[in-house]
Amino acid sequence: MITSMRGRMQLWHGLLLVAVLTGFGLTAYGVAREETWRRVDRDLELRVASLFGPPPGLPSPPPADMPREPRPGNMRDRIVDRIRDADVAETGGYYFVFWDANGDLLAQSPGTPREALQRPSVAMPDRPFGRGAGLAEVRMRGDVREGLVSLPFRELLLVGRPVTAEQTAMRKLATMLLLGGLAILALGLAGGWWIATRSMRPVAAISEAAAKIAAGDLSQRIDAQGTVREFAPLVETLNSTFSRLEASFAQQARFTADASHELRTPITVMLTQTQTALARERTAEEYRDSLEACQRAAQRMRKLTEALLALARLDAGEDPMRQEPMDLARVARESVESVRPLAEARHVALHCDLESLPCRGDADRLMQVVTNLLQNAIQSNHAGGEVRLAGEVSSKRVLLQVADTGPGIQATDLPHIFERFYRADPSRSRPNGRTGLGLAISKAIMEAHHGEIRVESQPGAGSTFTIALPR
Amino acid sequence: MRLLVVEDEPDLLASLLRAFRDEGYAVDGAADGAEGLFKAELTEYDAIVLDVMLPSLDGWEVLRRLRLQRKTPVLLLTARDGVKDRIRGLDGGADDYLVKPFDIMELLARVRALIRRASNQAESRLVLGEVVLDTAARTVHRQGEPVPLTAREYALVEYLAVHRGKVISRTALYDHLFDENEASLSNLLDVHVSNIRRKLGHEFIATRRGHGYCIAGDPE
Repeated sequence: MITSMRGRMQLWHGLLLVAVLTGFGLTAYGVAREETWRRVDRDLELRVASLFGPPPGLPSPPPADMPREPRPGNMRDRIVDRIRDADVAETGGYYFVFWDANGDLLAQSPGTPREALQRPSVAMPDRPFGRGAGLAEVRMRGDVREGLVSLPFRELLLVGRPVTAEQTAMRKLATMLLLGGLAILALGLAGGWWIATRSMRPVAAISEAAAKIAAGDLSQRIDAQGTVREFAPLVETLNSTFSRLEASFAQQARFTADASHELRTPITVMLTQTQTALARERTAEEYRDSLEACQRAAQRMRKLTEALLALARLDAGEDPMRQEPMDLARVARESVESVRPLAEARHVALHCDLESLPCRGDADRLMQVVTNLLQNAIQSNHAGGEVRLAGEVSSKRVLLQVADTGPGIQATDLPHIFERFYRADPSRSRPNGRTGLGLAISKAIMEAHHGEIRVESQPGAGSTFTIALPR
Repeated sequence: MRLLVVEDEPDLLASLLRAFRDEGYAVDGAADGAEGLFKAELTEYDAIVLDVMLPSLDGWEVLRRLRLQRKTPVLLLTARDGVKDRIRGLDGGADDYLVKPFDIMELLARVRALIRRASNQAESRLVLGEVVLDTAARTVHRQGEPVPLTAREYALVEYLAVHRGKVISRTALYDHLFDENEASLSNLLDVHVSNIRRKLGHEFIATRRGHGYCIAGDPE
């Protein structure tokens, strides 16, 4: 089994070439052979005809006149004489053997090979030589070709000659055809190898780039310049894949850096708190303060690690979303109840007046999304502000809107707020124990539901988050 | 020595203040950039510990504006440990850079080093005649014998010793020995000075009436 693409191309190419050359060679050889024997046979015929014709030097009458001679004896004697005169040494190798109807030898040319004297047993054709019929039969005996002719009185005439020269010529032709064919095959294979190598060159470039990428250099791209048209789409696809891969690696690296960065502050708090508390004897109150500070830091880390784990699970698609019939309005009302204490503490009014919003989904996860939106809406709001929920049912999906009267989101931040750890104000650390992952998790949950989450905002006039679920 | 700590995470700020107070520093705290800048411009601190991620004004901006007026040594605290961030901090006028999370001991040592450098002092040991001051261990020896000093007494000796040869005004001493929350009684300083003289010899601190106090400089 040949595993190399080039090798396979060569194999098929070679097989095809061999088939074509063999076909051509055999045909050419066959045609040449046929032509040679036809010429030899014609010669033999002419020799036979010369036996019947007038003596040499006189124009030969057409063989058609011959059967008009009624007496066999006359004719036969003339033939016998001529055969006896035709010495092989003088006729250039032609010889004749003549039998009568009973198979008795009438005459033979001097120098006739002994093997030719055996009378061949052949079925006599109905039409004798001359009446439109040529040689009744032709046979090869070694390097000799012999033709048989029947005469009107059922005599049998054999004419033969050696065909060594023709055979040599044909062997020469065969050798030439074979050598020529081999040369063309070699040339064809070499050309095929060159073409295959050339056409495989983009593949080599592609695998080289891919190898570099595999070795960790994600900035590598395949040079699309000079690529044949057939490879252009592949190169394009690979390059865009590499780009996406690079972007996703960069995103992952940034995410990891952000996550470790977010963990640094609570760890610093715990370290400094414990180190200073242990540095010397403290009052009970001081110890309590330290422990409380450590607890707050640990809670913050717990929230962050839980959020990171949730995101990792959503990314990996480990926990598939349930797709149960449910009422999004009911989920929303439950969420509203859960955040009511927070809203009251912040003096934010909650308005939830929802009709039924039937859809399919995972009620627990969707409640997480709605609660997160409500918490954000309350925490970003000013005292005395409002958070309003609204629902909408269309033929294909249900919508839930959470609108607040907070400060809104700057247009430059809007495209990024669903990004992990995105900070609208980069100098600001996380207030209120927020992880910076809430909206990213909400987005991941909505996407796992084949739904969507989006935001509209007017700086100064509040923001409206909308989630949409297929029905 | 008086320090300013600017940090927006309240638990971290509290523990830093406690750590510095334990070390005998007079420390003020600020919870955001604007407050930190205001205090840093108002008071001549011996060193400032400045967090980079701050609300209102970030650490870079506080540092930039402060450098227009003061050369106070600044140590930046940050959760960003990229080389670029460190270079930006040091080029932006910071004197040192510490990445969170850090050990409090390292922070204290770096602040000590910062103050020492600012006063052109190469070593943490100061020899003042028969009195030897170790600013790292915060101890004072006289003729090889350890002399017990209160934290405030030590701070007073250290400040005068670091600025030895110079007359330090009473106001300056108040500014550097007491933080913003302490009621500065005008005779408190005299009480500390007389206690120190009792322990380290009357001539150790000279009084320049109407100007302030002074510890004699090096013989050369």
